[in-house]
Amino acid sequence: MVTKASKGNLKLFNRDSFPLVSFVTLFILCLVMMGVDYRQQILKNIKSKFSIVTSPITYLINLPADIFINLKDTFISKNLLKEKIETLEQANHILSIAVQENKLLTSENKLLRNTLKIKKDFNIVGVTAEIILPNIKNGHSIITINKGSKNNIKIGSAVINNAGLVGQIINTSESYSEVMPITSEDYAVPAIMNNSKENIILYGNGNGELEIPLFPSSSSILINDNFVTSGAGGLYPKGINIGRVVEIKSTTSPKFNSIMITPLSQPTTFTQITVIDIKK
Amino acid sequence: MIKKTILEQRKERALFIILFLISIILSNIGILGIENSNMMPDYFIALITAYIINKGSDLNIYKLVIIGLIVDLFVGQLLGQYGLVFICIYLLYFIIKKILVIKSTQQLFSLGFFLITSSFLVLWATSLSHGLFISFNLIFIQSILTFIAYLFFNIFIKKFTSN
Repeated sequence: MVTKASKGNLKLFNRDSFPLVSFVTLFILCLVMMGVDYRQQILKNIKSKFSIVTSPITYLINLPADIFINLKDTFISKNLLKEKIETLEQANHILSIAVQENKLLTSENKLLRNTLKIKKDFNIVGVTAEIILPNIKNGHSIITINKGSKNNIKIGSAVINNAGLVGQIINTSESYSEVMPITSEDYAVPAIMNNSKENIILYGNGNGELEIPLFPSSSSILINDNFVTSGAGGLYPKGINIGRVVEIKSTTSPKFNSIMITPLSQPTTFTQITVIDIKK
Repeated sequence: MIKKTILEQRKERALFIILFLISIILSNIGILGIENSNMMPDYFIALITAYIINKGSDLNIYKLVIIGLIVDLFVGQLLGQYGLVFICIYLLYFIIKKILVIKSTQQLFSLGFFLITSSFLVLWATSLSHGLFISFNLIFIQSILTFIAYLFFNIFIKKFTSN
Protein backbone atom coordinates (compact mmCIF):
# COMPACT_ATOMS: atom_id res chain seq x y z
CA MET A 1 0.00 0.00 0.00
CA VAL A 2 1.31 3.36 -0.96
CA THR A 3 0.87 6.25 1.47
CA LYS A 4 1.64 9.92 1.04
CA ALA A 5 4.80 10.98 2.86
CA SER A 6 3.57 14.48 3.45
CA LYS A 7 0.71 16.70 2.51
CA GLY A 8 3.08 19.37 1.15
CA ASN A 9 3.97 19.63 -2.48
CA LEU A 10 7.16 17.54 -2.59
CA LYS A 11 8.65 18.82 -5.78
CA LEU A 12 12.37 18.51 -6.40
CA PHE A 13 12.69 21.15 -9.10
CA ASN A 14 10.86 24.41 -9.32
CA ARG A 15 9.72 25.13 -12.83
CA ASP A 16 8.26 28.59 -12.25
CA SER A 17 9.58 31.10 -14.71
CA PHE A 18 11.25 34.23 -13.41
CA PRO A 19 10.11 37.58 -14.86
CA LEU A 20 13.66 38.45 -15.88
CA VAL A 21 12.79 41.32 -18.23
CA SER A 22 10.56 42.95 -15.59
CA PHE A 23 13.25 42.41 -12.97
CA VAL A 24 15.98 44.03 -15.07
CA THR A 25 13.68 46.91 -16.02
CA LEU A 26 12.67 47.56 -12.41
CA PHE A 27 16.25 47.12 -11.19
CA ILE A 28 17.45 49.77 -13.63
CA LEU A 29 14.43 51.97 -12.81
CA CYS A 30 15.25 51.79 -9.08
CA LEU A 31 18.91 52.64 -9.74
CA VAL A 32 17.88 55.58 -11.93
CA MET A 33 15.42 56.80 -9.27
CA MET A 34 18.15 56.59 -6.62
CA GLY A 35 20.61 58.46 -8.81
CA VAL A 36 18.11 61.18 -9.70
CA ASP A 37 16.96 61.47 -6.09
CA TYR A 38 20.56 61.75 -4.89
CA ARG A 39 21.13 64.69 -7.24
CA GLN A 40 17.72 66.38 -7.16
CA GLN A 41 16.66 65.57 -3.56
CA ILE A 42 13.22 64.55 -4.82
CA LEU A 43 12.41 62.35 -1.80
CA LYS A 44 13.08 65.24 0.58
CA ASN A 45 10.63 67.44 -1.32
CA ILE A 46 8.01 64.69 -1.45
CA LYS A 47 8.53 63.99 2.26
CA SER A 48 8.06 67.65 3.16
CA LYS A 49 4.73 67.65 1.26
CA PHE A 50 3.86 64.23 2.64
CA SER A 51 4.61 65.33 6.23
CA ILE A 52 1.02 66.61 6.48
CA VAL A 53 0.10 62.91 6.55
CA THR A 54 3.10 61.52 8.43
CA SER A 55 3.35 64.14 11.19
CA PRO A 56 -0.01 63.25 12.81
CA ILE A 57 0.89 59.54 12.59
CA THR A 58 4.25 60.16 14.24
CA TYR A 59 2.53 62.38 16.79
CA LEU A 60 0.05 59.63 17.64
CA ILE A 61 2.82 57.06 17.88
CA ASN A 62 4.74 59.23 20.32
CA LEU A 63 1.63 60.25 22.26
CA PRO A 64 1.69 57.44 24.87
CA ALA A 65 5.36 58.11 25.66
CA ASP A 66 4.71 61.88 25.82
CA ILE A 67 1.72 61.38 28.12
CA PHE A 68 3.82 59.11 30.35
CA ILE A 69 6.63 61.71 30.55
CA ASN A 70 4.13 64.51 31.22
CA LEU A 71 2.43 62.50 33.96
CA LYS A 72 5.80 61.66 35.48
CA ASP A 73 6.70 65.36 35.47
CA THR A 74 3.35 66.26 37.04
CA PHE A 75 3.87 63.91 39.95
CA ILE A 76 7.38 65.06 40.82
CA SER A 77 7.50 65.66 44.56
CA LYS A 78 7.30 69.13 46.04
CA ASN A 79 10.78 68.85 47.56
CA LEU A 80 12.29 68.11 44.21
CA LEU A 81 10.65 71.19 42.75
CA LYS A 82 11.88 73.32 45.67
CA GLU A 83 15.40 72.05 45.14
CA LYS A 84 15.12 72.79 41.46
CA ILE A 85 13.90 76.33 42.13
CA GLU A 86 16.81 76.94 44.51
CA THR A 87 19.31 75.64 41.96
CA LEU A 88 17.74 77.76 39.24
CA GLU A 89 17.77 80.86 41.43
CA GLN A 90 21.47 80.32 42.10
CA ALA A 91 22.10 79.78 38.38
CA ASN A 92 20.07 82.89 37.59
CA HIS A 93 22.12 84.91 40.06
CA ILE A 94 25.40 83.71 38.52
CA LEU A 95 24.04 84.37 35.02
CA SER A 96 22.90 87.91 35.86
CA ILE A 97 26.44 88.68 37.04
CA ALA A 98 27.78 87.11 33.84
CA VAL A 99 25.38 89.27 31.80
CA GLN A 100 26.78 92.39 33.43
CA GLU A 101 30.31 91.21 32.62
CA ASN A 102 29.21 90.41 29.08
CA LYS A 103 27.73 93.89 28.62
CA LEU A 104 31.05 95.37 29.62
CA LEU A 105 32.90 92.98 27.31
CA THR A 106 30.55 93.78 24.42
CA SER A 107 31.08 97.52 24.78
CA GLU A 108 34.85 96.95 25.06
CA ASN A 109 34.71 94.68 22.01
CA LYS A 110 32.84 97.32 20.01
CA LEU A 111 35.36 99.94 21.03
CA LEU A 112 38.27 97.69 20.06
CA ARG A 113 36.61 96.75 16.76
CA ASN A 114 36.14 100.42 15.98
CA THR A 115 39.74 101.13 16.93
CA LEU A 116 41.05 98.23 14.83
CA LYS A 117 38.55 99.01 12.07
CA ILE A 118 37.13 95.48 11.96
CA LYS A 119 33.94 95.73 9.97
CA LYS A 120 32.84 92.07 10.02
CA ASP A 121 30.17 91.36 12.55
CA PHE A 122 27.58 88.67 13.03
CA ASN A 123 23.93 89.44 13.01
CA ILE A 124 22.19 86.33 14.23
CA VAL A 125 18.48 86.18 13.55
CA GLY A 126 16.71 83.34 15.27
CA VAL A 127 13.28 81.73 15.42
CA THR A 128 12.38 80.18 18.75
CA ALA A 129 10.61 76.85 18.48
CA GLU A 130 9.54 73.97 20.65
CA ILE A 131 10.56 70.35 20.31
CA ILE A 132 7.48 68.23 19.90
CA LEU A 133 8.86 64.86 19.03
CA PRO A 134 12.33 63.66 19.88
CA ASN A 135 11.89 60.44 17.91
CA ILE A 136 13.36 57.82 15.69
CA LYS A 137 12.68 57.12 12.04
CA ASN A 138 13.78 53.66 11.08
CA GLY A 139 16.85 53.88 13.25
CA HIS A 140 17.67 57.51 12.57
CA SER A 141 17.27 60.05 15.34
CA ILE A 142 15.14 62.97 14.27
CA ILE A 143 13.93 65.92 16.35
CA THR A 144 10.65 67.41 15.17
CA ILE A 145 9.92 71.04 16.00
CA ASN A 146 6.69 73.03 15.83
CA LYS A 147 7.85 75.68 13.35
CA GLY A 148 8.05 75.26 9.61
CA SER A 149 8.53 77.05 6.33
CA LYS A 150 5.77 79.55 7.14
CA ASN A 151 8.00 80.74 10.01
CA ASN A 152 10.82 81.25 7.51
CA ILE A 153 12.73 78.15 8.60
CA LYS A 154 15.04 76.92 5.90
CA ILE A 155 16.75 73.61 5.25
CA GLY A 156 20.33 73.72 6.44
CA SER A 157 19.81 76.25 9.25
CA ALA A 158 21.64 75.56 12.48
CA VAL A 159 19.66 74.80 15.63
CA ILE A 160 20.88 75.81 19.08
CA ASN A 161 19.59 76.00 22.64
CA ASN A 162 20.87 77.48 25.86
CA ALA A 163 23.26 74.55 26.36
CA GLY A 164 24.78 74.65 22.89
CA LEU A 165 24.48 73.30 19.37
CA VAL A 166 21.53 70.95 18.83
CA GLY A 167 21.66 70.12 15.12
CA GLN A 168 20.66 71.19 11.67
CA ILE A 169 17.34 71.48 9.84
CA ILE A 170 17.05 68.72 7.26
CA ASN A 171 13.41 68.85 6.31
CA THR A 172 10.67 71.45 6.49
CA SER A 173 6.95 71.42 5.94
CA GLU A 174 4.55 74.29 6.44
CA SER A 175 4.16 73.87 10.20
CA TYR A 176 6.84 71.37 11.17
CA SER A 177 10.55 70.92 10.65
CA GLU A 178 12.90 68.04 11.23
CA VAL A 179 16.26 68.48 12.88
CA MET A 180 19.20 66.15 12.47
CA PRO A 181 20.86 65.99 15.91
CA ILE A 182 24.59 66.66 16.16
CA THR A 183 25.15 63.08 17.27
CA SER A 184 23.65 61.70 14.06
CA GLU A 185 25.98 59.62 11.90
CA ASP A 186 25.52 61.94 8.92
CA TYR A 187 26.47 65.03 10.89
CA ALA A 188 29.73 66.96 10.77
CA VAL A 189 30.56 70.36 12.21
CA PRO A 190 33.72 72.48 12.02
CA ALA A 191 34.98 73.22 15.51
CA ILE A 192 37.81 74.59 17.59
CA MET A 193 38.88 73.84 21.11
CA ASN A 194 38.28 76.61 23.64
CA ASN A 195 42.00 76.99 24.29
CA SER A 196 43.33 76.43 20.78
CA LYS A 197 43.09 77.81 17.26
CA GLU A 198 43.27 74.49 15.44
CA ASN A 199 40.30 73.81 13.16
CA ILE A 200 38.84 70.33 13.57
CA ILE A 201 35.79 68.59 12.15
CA LEU A 202 33.60 66.73 14.64
CA TYR A 203 31.49 63.84 13.39
CA GLY A 204 28.39 62.40 15.02
CA ASN A 205 28.77 58.68 15.66
CA GLY A 206 25.07 57.83 15.90
CA ASN A 207 25.64 56.63 19.44
CA GLY A 208 24.81 59.79 21.38
CA GLU A 209 28.32 61.19 21.03
CA LEU A 210 30.56 63.09 18.62
CA GLU A 211 33.89 61.82 17.48
CA ILE A 212 37.19 62.95 16.02
CA PRO A 213 38.42 59.74 14.39
CA LEU A 214 41.96 60.96 13.76
CA PHE A 215 43.24 63.62 16.12
CA PRO A 216 47.01 64.27 15.95
CA SER A 217 48.78 62.83 19.02
CA SER A 218 51.13 65.81 18.96
CA SER A 219 48.25 68.24 19.72
CA SER A 220 47.42 68.75 23.34
CA ILE A 221 43.97 67.67 24.48
CA LEU A 222 42.59 66.79 27.90
CA ILE A 223 39.43 65.22 29.28
CA ASN A 224 36.74 67.89 29.85
CA ASP A 225 38.20 70.23 27.20
CA ASN A 226 35.37 72.09 25.49
CA PHE A 227 34.72 72.32 21.77
CA VAL A 228 32.92 75.27 20.20
CA THR A 229 31.90 76.00 16.61
CA SER A 230 34.71 77.56 14.58
CA GLY A 231 32.46 79.53 12.27
CA ALA A 232 34.24 78.06 9.24
CA GLY A 233 31.90 77.67 6.29
CA GLY A 234 29.60 80.41 7.53
CA LEU A 235 26.73 78.12 8.49
CA TYR A 236 27.27 78.29 12.23
CA PRO A 237 28.24 81.40 14.14
CA LYS A 238 31.56 81.13 15.93
CA GLY A 239 31.67 80.17 19.58
CA ILE A 240 28.56 78.02 20.08
CA ASN A 241 29.15 75.27 22.62
CA ILE A 242 29.25 71.79 21.12
CA GLY A 243 30.50 69.38 23.75
CA ARG A 244 33.29 68.28 26.05
CA VAL A 245 35.91 65.57 25.70
CA VAL A 246 35.02 62.42 27.62
CA GLU A 247 37.43 59.89 26.21
CA ILE A 248 40.77 59.83 24.41
CA LYS A 249 41.43 56.50 22.71
CA SER A 250 44.54 55.35 20.93
CA THR A 251 44.21 54.20 17.32
CA THR A 252 46.17 51.69 15.24
CA SER A 253 48.39 54.56 14.10
CA PRO A 254 50.61 56.00 16.87
CA LYS A 255 50.34 59.42 15.19
CA PHE A 256 46.63 59.76 15.88
CA ASN A 257 44.17 59.43 18.74
CA SER A 258 40.43 59.02 18.55
CA ILE A 259 38.52 61.57 20.64
CA MET A 260 35.01 61.05 21.99
CA ILE A 261 32.97 64.15 22.77
CA THR A 262 29.69 64.22 24.64
CA PRO A 263 27.32 66.99 23.48
CA LEU A 264 26.31 69.63 25.99
CA SER A 265 22.75 69.70 24.70
CA GLN A 266 20.67 66.53 24.86
CA PRO A 267 17.33 66.40 22.98
CA THR A 268 15.59 64.65 25.86
CA THR A 269 16.51 67.28 28.45
CA PHE A 270 15.20 70.45 26.81
CA THR A 271 12.16 71.62 24.87
CA GLN A 272 12.98 75.13 23.63
CA ILE A 273 15.38 75.64 20.75
CA THR A 274 16.37 78.47 18.42
CA VAL A 275 16.74 78.05 14.69
CA ILE A 276 19.37 80.51 13.56
CA ASP A 277 19.87 82.23 10.29
CA ILE A 278 23.19 83.97 9.93
CA LYS A 279 23.23 87.23 8.06
CA LYS A 280 26.63 88.72 7.50
CA MET B 1 -2.18 23.70 -7.54
CA ILE B 2 -4.42 24.84 -4.73
CA LYS B 3 -6.36 27.98 -5.60
CA LYS B 4 -7.20 30.38 -2.83
CA THR B 5 -10.70 31.52 -2.23
CA ILE B 6 -11.48 35.23 -2.48
CA LEU B 7 -12.04 35.27 1.27
CA GLU B 8 -8.59 33.83 1.95
CA GLN B 9 -6.99 36.31 -0.42
CA ARG B 10 -8.76 39.20 1.31
CA LYS B 11 -7.69 37.86 4.69
CA GLU B 12 -4.06 37.65 3.60
CA ARG B 13 -4.15 41.12 2.07
CA ALA B 14 -5.64 42.53 5.27
CA LEU B 15 -2.97 40.78 7.32
CA PHE B 16 -0.24 42.26 5.15
CA ILE B 17 -1.68 45.77 5.51
CA ILE B 18 -1.98 45.36 9.29
CA LEU B 19 1.61 44.08 9.57
CA PHE B 20 2.78 46.92 7.32
CA LEU B 21 1.09 49.50 9.56
CA ILE B 22 2.60 47.82 12.63
CA SER B 23 6.01 48.09 10.92
CA ILE B 24 5.50 51.83 10.37
CA ILE B 25 4.61 52.28 14.03
CA LEU B 26 7.51 50.15 15.28
CA SER B 27 9.95 51.99 13.01
CA ASN B 28 9.13 55.16 14.89
CA ILE B 29 9.67 53.66 18.34
CA GLY B 30 13.06 52.79 19.76
CA ILE B 31 13.69 49.53 21.56
CA LEU B 32 13.13 49.98 25.28
CA GLY B 33 16.39 50.12 27.21
CA ILE B 34 18.64 50.59 24.17
CA GLU B 35 20.14 54.09 24.10
CA ASN B 36 21.46 53.88 20.55
CA SER B 37 18.54 54.71 18.31
CA ASN B 38 20.27 53.16 15.31
CA MET B 39 20.24 49.75 16.93
CA MET B 40 16.84 48.66 15.81
CA PRO B 41 15.57 46.14 13.29
CA ASP B 42 14.42 47.05 9.83
CA TYR B 43 10.84 45.90 10.23
CA PHE B 44 10.04 46.34 6.54
CA ILE B 45 12.82 44.02 5.39
CA ALA B 46 11.71 41.52 8.06
CA LEU B 47 8.09 41.72 6.89
CA ILE B 48 8.84 41.41 3.18
CA THR B 49 11.25 38.51 3.77
CA ALA B 50 8.68 36.70 5.90
CA TYR B 51 5.98 37.36 3.33
CA ILE B 52 8.06 36.26 0.34
CA ILE B 53 9.08 33.03 2.09
CA ASN B 54 5.60 32.20 3.32
CA LYS B 55 3.37 33.69 0.66
CA GLY B 56 5.76 34.19 -2.23
CA SER B 57 3.10 33.57 -4.84
CA ASP B 58 1.06 36.56 -3.62
CA LEU B 59 3.79 39.08 -4.34
CA ASN B 60 5.25 40.01 -7.66
CA ILE B 61 8.13 42.36 -8.33
CA TYR B 62 5.85 45.21 -9.40
CA LYS B 63 4.03 45.07 -6.08
CA LEU B 64 7.38 44.90 -4.28
CA VAL B 65 8.66 48.03 -6.02
CA ILE B 66 5.47 49.91 -5.16
CA ILE B 67 5.70 48.76 -1.52
CA GLY B 68 9.36 49.83 -1.58
CA LEU B 69 8.41 53.32 -2.76
CA ILE B 70 5.83 53.62 0.04
CA VAL B 71 8.47 52.52 2.57
CA ASP B 72 10.84 55.14 1.14
CA LEU B 73 8.20 57.79 1.76
CA PHE B 74 7.97 56.86 5.42
CA VAL B 75 11.48 55.90 6.43
CA GLY B 76 13.68 55.82 3.36
CA GLN B 77 16.68 57.94 2.53
CA LEU B 78 16.76 57.45 -1.22
CA LEU B 79 13.84 57.04 -3.58
CA GLY B 80 13.81 53.51 -4.98
CA GLN B 81 16.30 52.06 -2.48
CA TYR B 82 13.82 49.84 -0.68
CA GLY B 83 12.25 48.82 -3.99
CA LEU B 84 15.67 47.63 -5.13
CA VAL B 85 16.27 45.79 -1.85
CA PHE B 86 12.89 44.05 -2.03
CA ILE B 87 13.29 42.87 -5.62
CA CYS B 88 16.77 41.60 -4.75
CA ILE B 89 15.23 39.56 -1.93
CA TYR B 90 12.69 38.23 -4.42
CA LEU B 91 15.39 37.31 -6.94
CA LEU B 92 17.56 35.57 -4.33
CA TYR B 93 14.57 33.67 -2.99
CA PHE B 94 13.67 32.56 -6.50
CA ILE B 95 17.21 31.37 -7.27
CA ILE B 96 17.51 29.48 -3.98
CA LYS B 97 14.09 27.91 -4.46
CA LYS B 98 15.19 26.85 -7.93
CA ILE B 99 18.39 25.10 -6.86
CA LEU B 100 17.52 23.83 -3.37
CA VAL B 101 14.66 21.90 -1.87
CA ILE B 102 13.69 23.81 1.24
CA LYS B 103 11.22 22.02 3.44
CA SER B 104 12.33 21.88 7.09
CA THR B 105 11.91 24.72 9.57
CA GLN B 106 15.68 24.98 10.08
CA GLN B 107 16.18 25.39 6.34
CA LEU B 108 13.50 28.08 6.23
CA PHE B 109 15.12 29.96 9.12
CA SER B 110 18.53 29.75 7.46
CA LEU B 111 16.99 31.00 4.22
CA GLY B 112 15.37 33.88 6.12
CA PHE B 113 18.68 34.82 7.72
CA PHE B 114 20.50 34.62 4.39
CA LEU B 115 17.90 36.82 2.65
CA ILE B 116 17.96 39.39 5.45
CA THR B 117 21.78 39.56 5.50
CA SER B 118 21.87 39.87 1.72
CA SER B 119 19.26 42.63 1.72
CA PHE B 120 21.28 44.56 4.30
CA LEU B 121 24.35 44.20 2.11
CA VAL B 122 22.38 45.70 -0.78
CA LEU B 123 21.11 48.48 1.50
CA TRP B 124 24.65 49.14 2.74
CA ALA B 125 26.19 49.14 -0.73
CA THR B 126 23.52 51.42 -2.23
CA SER B 127 23.78 53.82 0.73
CA LEU B 128 27.56 54.03 0.47
CA SER B 129 27.46 54.55 -3.27
CA HIS B 130 25.14 57.52 -2.73
CA GLY B 131 27.16 59.18 0.01
CA LEU B 132 25.13 57.85 2.95
CA PHE B 133 27.45 56.33 5.52
CA ILE B 134 26.27 53.29 7.48
CA SER B 135 28.76 51.48 9.69
CA PHE B 136 29.28 47.83 8.74
CA ASN B 137 29.12 46.73 12.41
CA LEU B 138 25.74 48.40 12.72
CA ILE B 139 24.50 46.57 9.63
CA PHE B 140 25.54 43.28 11.23
CA ILE B 141 23.70 44.03 14.48
CA GLN B 142 20.68 45.29 12.54
CA SER B 143 20.58 42.06 10.50
CA ILE B 144 20.41 40.00 13.70
CA LEU B 145 17.68 42.23 15.15
CA THR B 146 15.81 42.11 11.84
CA PHE B 147 16.04 38.32 11.87
CA ILE B 148 14.39 38.31 15.32
CA ALA B 149 11.64 40.60 13.95
CA TYR B 150 11.34 38.24 10.97
CA LEU B 151 10.72 35.31 13.33
CA PHE B 152 7.87 37.22 14.96
CA PHE B 153 6.34 38.17 11.60
CA ASN B 154 6.72 34.56 10.53
CA ILE B 155 4.71 33.38 13.52
CA PHE B 156 1.99 35.96 12.79
CA ILE B 157 1.75 35.10 9.11
CA LYS B 158 1.62 31.37 9.77
CA LYS B 159 -0.89 31.70 12.58
CA PHE B 160 -3.32 33.97 10.77
CA THR B 161 -3.19 32.43 7.34
CA SER B 162 -3.19 28.71 8.17
CA ASN B 163 -6.55 27.00 8.09
